Amino acid sequence: MKCVILAAGEGKRMHPLTFTRPKVMLQIAKRPIIEWNLLNAIDAGLKEFVFVVGYKSEMVRDFFGNGEQWNVSIDYVNQGKALGTAHAIGMVERFVDDFIVLCGDTIFGANDIKNIIKTDNSIGIFEVENAEEYGIVETKDGFLVKIYEKMKKPFSNIINAGMYHFNKEIFNYIKKTNKSPRGEYEITDSINQLSKEKKIKGIFLKEWRDVVYPWHLLDANEEILKKIDRKIEGILEENIIIKGNVTIGKDTIIRSGSYITGPVIIGKNCKIGPNCYIRPHTAIGNNCHIGNACEIKNSIVMDNTNVPHQNYVGDSVIGSNCNLGAGTKIANLRLDKKNINIILNGKKIDTKRRKFGAVIGDNVQTGINSTINVGTTIGNNCFIGQSSSVKGEINSYSKIL
Amino acid sequence: MCGIIGYNGFREAKNVLIDCLKRLDYRGYDSAGIGIIDDKLQVFKEVGEITHLEKEIPTIRGDIGIGHTRWATHGAVTKENAHPQISPNKKFAVIHNGIIENFKKIKEDLEKKGHTFTSQTDTEVIAHLIEDHYNGSLEEAVFETIKNIQGAYAIVVMCEDEPEKLIGARRESPLIVGVGDNENFIASDIPALLKYTNRVIYLDEGELCVVTKNSINIYDKNKKEIEKKKDIITWDYKDAEKSGFPHFMLKEIFDQPNTINQALRGRISEIGQTINFSEKIEKLLSNDIESINIVACGTSYYSGLVGKYVIEQTCRIPVIVELASEYRFFGTRNKSSLVIAITQSGETSDTLAALREANKSGCKTLAITNVIGSTATRITNGYILTQSGPEIGVAATKTFTSQIIVLLLAALKIASIKKTLSSNDIYYYILRLKELSRQIRLILDESNKIIKISEKIKDSNSIFFIGRGINFPLSLEGALKLKEISYIHAEGFAAGELKHGPFALLTKKTPVVAIVTKDSTYNKLLANIGEIKARGPQVIAIADENDSEIEKHADYVVRYPSNSTLLSCIPITVILQLLAYHVADLRNCPIDKPRNLAKSVTVE
Repeated sequence: MKCVILAAGEGKRMHPLTFTRPKVMLQIAKRPIIEWNLLNAIDAGLKEFVFVVGYKSEMVRDFFGNGEQWNVSIDYVNQGKALGTAHAIGMVERFVDDFIVLCGDTIFGANDIKNIIKTDNSIGIFEVENAEEYGIVETKDGFLVKIYEKMKKPFSNIINAGMYHFNKEIFNYIKKTNKSPRGEYEITDSINQLSKEKKIKGIFLKEWRDVVYPWHLLDANEEILKKIDRKIEGILEENIIIKGNVTIGKDTIIRSGSYITGPVIIGKNCKIGPNCYIRPHTAIGNNCHIGNACEIKNSIVMDNTNVPHQNYVGDSVIGSNCNLGAGTKIANLRLDKKNINIILNGKKIDTKRRKFGAVIGDNVQTGINSTINVGTTIGNNCFIGQSSSVKGEINSYSKIL
Repeated sequence: MCGIIGYNGFREAKNVLIDCLKRLDYRGYDSAGIGIIDDKLQVFKEVGEITHLEKEIPTIRGDIGIGHTRWATHGAVTKENAHPQISPNKKFAVIHNGIIENFKKIKEDLEKKGHTFTSQTDTEVIAHLIEDHYNGSLEEAVFETIKNIQGAYAIVVMCEDEPEKLIGARRESPLIVGVGDNENFIASDIPALLKYTNRVIYLDEGELCVVTKNSINIYDKNKKEIEKKKDIITWDYKDAEKSGFPHFMLKEIFDQPNTINQALRGRISEIGQTINFSEKIEKLLSNDIESINIVACGTSYYSGLVGKYVIEQTCRIPVIVELASEYRFFGTRNKSSLVIAITQSGETSDTLAALREANKSGCKTLAITNVIGSTATRITNGYILTQSGPEIGVAATKTFTSQIIVLLLAALKIASIKKTLSSNDIYYYILRLKELSRQIRLILDESNKIIKISEKIKDSNSIFFIGRGINFPLSLEGALKLKEISYIHAEGFAAGELKHGPFALLTKKTPVVAIVTKDSTYNKLLANIGEIKARGPQVIAIADENDSEIEKHADYVVRYPSNSTLLSCIPITVILQLLAYHVADLRNCPIDKPRNLAKSVTVE
């Protein structure tokens, strides 16, 4: 049985982070989203994979190669122009018989994948609090009746989770699928057609983490970090306090006076401290520097980024190759304690979080004592001058002086 | 000069080929055809647009095929002469871009042996030769065949008896291999493939490739298998689409605030007050240059003429600008002279020939091009990329302004090395360069005003462009843009030259576009306008925003923002481009595909 992972999407709602990498290659707890799915699927017993790639496909291919490192085989199909999920799945017709499909930007659990493997013609479903953003699933006696695309007032909280078990038959329905009102070929339309003639079993999932907006990276990061073990491969100086489960990579040096509360994951070859405070649910990439008197909490810091002197970073995502100037601080709480809004591609969105800092792209430099307000997004290659105070959405290549 | 595509993979070949051909049709478009193997080799050809061909092809399965858009060089535009050309036994199909110089001789020899030909193309002899040489191995037959042919070619061949492989080979004409997943491509140009893959391998002179669904083997001219590296193309295929503009040309004009910044990116340092290129280029520019030869064709030649003014003004060394097609035969070759070749595609065959001549005579060579990995980048001592992204409109716009920017940066670099400009002067230019993209935006905002002026001149039979100094090559470029897309006869003159002859052509119905800058020739130009007005034509002046005099002299005025004289050429060019575009648009001309023209001219 083959496992098809859909990994072609650009992830516009993840800008600016996805200007330089495809969405599935965004790292959560130090591994790309798609790798978590791969690992879970391997856990569930799958060995042959087909990745449907597109946007910046070379990054996926370079990372996974033919799958040798994971002891599995990985084949690739380039979707070309992204015309929707049915179009993407239609690409693999020649490569599969009985197969599992996983949406590459949602993290699924190994046990749930096992359950769906056991049941031919099945669809993963999940109960959420707010179903507005998703496809609503109507079932009868455990079998699918119909999937409804995003409804303003959903009649149910059961949604299409983005995991399927199909056989060759699905391709006949994909070929008959027409463009949806939003101009894409949607697999849900093909499934609705199929369900009229074949019984499709709805399988309730236990674990499901959808990653759409940058703050979802923090949720997923937290969820995965909760499961990590303590593993310290780096060098520890004296007078360090490490509490809870903390993973520290090779050649990383933790200097005196550092106080780390797990779960925290720190990559290879980093310089941490002296005298810094790293708080729970933080993931720090490789070759990073977290310097004196810095505090980082519930954040993702990508490779080659420095948070070197007297910085505060809370509930934020910082891209790679960034450097914060001495004293640069990121706010993560409104004084009126209201939900934090963020502006993404010109649109204001409620993060539904009371605490959220900033989303910072790659190659951003900030000057000394600059301050970054809650919910700020900063594009790639920006230059935030000394003592400036920024908020809202800052486009790539901007200079704030 | 044609477009070539070969596909071998898991998708329906017909759809892929048609799709890719649509992206190649800027290379030439008088007829098109595809060949697909679905048990049997089947070939479909039509005269005219690709969409016409698309309609004529029945539903056909088969996942290996070749496709071609033709721009006639040998033989008229007919269905028979379109490619693919097939062999007498109908088992071999060939598509070809280039010119086989000895095809008449080969054809005669084959006819003596009893071959009959169905087309007038030089390509058909290739199909015949391959069949003659075939002995169970297609690549062997192609190797033998290319030994027989002289001239330029990029070919893709397939054979009904070996339906798992495509063979590609090239000499002088461009050919690339697109590396996919469970599928591979062969094409003459990158935009054809971008939708399906961004990994390409450039074939070099005399190389041959064997392409199956899952493998690519490349051989040099001695049949020795070689390893080649894959290049990742960073353009997105969306970059090659119109993004909402009615024509690629307009999109590309509006792209210029970005492309100017792209050309500057990483090359100017405000803090260091320096111009930076890679070490290799800086060494080339400091190589005790006594003079410079610029070789180019078409629009690139005009950017070369602009470059001449810029370099001579800033570096005080003589610059000779020559048409590549002339230089290669008649140019003076001085070893202490740097030869700069300007070619957007890096494949312009006249320019490449000129470069090869320059290399032969021991000159250092430098290419300014838009395409990394192109032939021009491989046969020169160094190259500077204009970094403008793909240009689809046949009329060059953004690549022209980027070429000028690159020339300017090179001039400033030489000037700082030769100390003909102080670091304060360099700093002055850096600040002005950084202004450019904002200034272009101001002009783009005024596009409507230019439409109004275009309406006044759209029915003219003839339009003249005049300027002095650096504005003289701009008048040539303005005239070229106008004539190539609007089909109105247009000519550019040095303003002082009008009275030495061209005056005879002036009537009330010949509008004159005058480029006026506030430099030492300002009063002379006003006098020229006066002379013209006395003969009755309408005068459209392109003038500095601070010029308060000009309204008294001209009928219509388009303003550009003040900048240093050397740099105002960029905003002025944008005005000229918009003028040409709107005139052509009002005349309902096929702007992106003017008749008889093709984007990159890979024949001589």
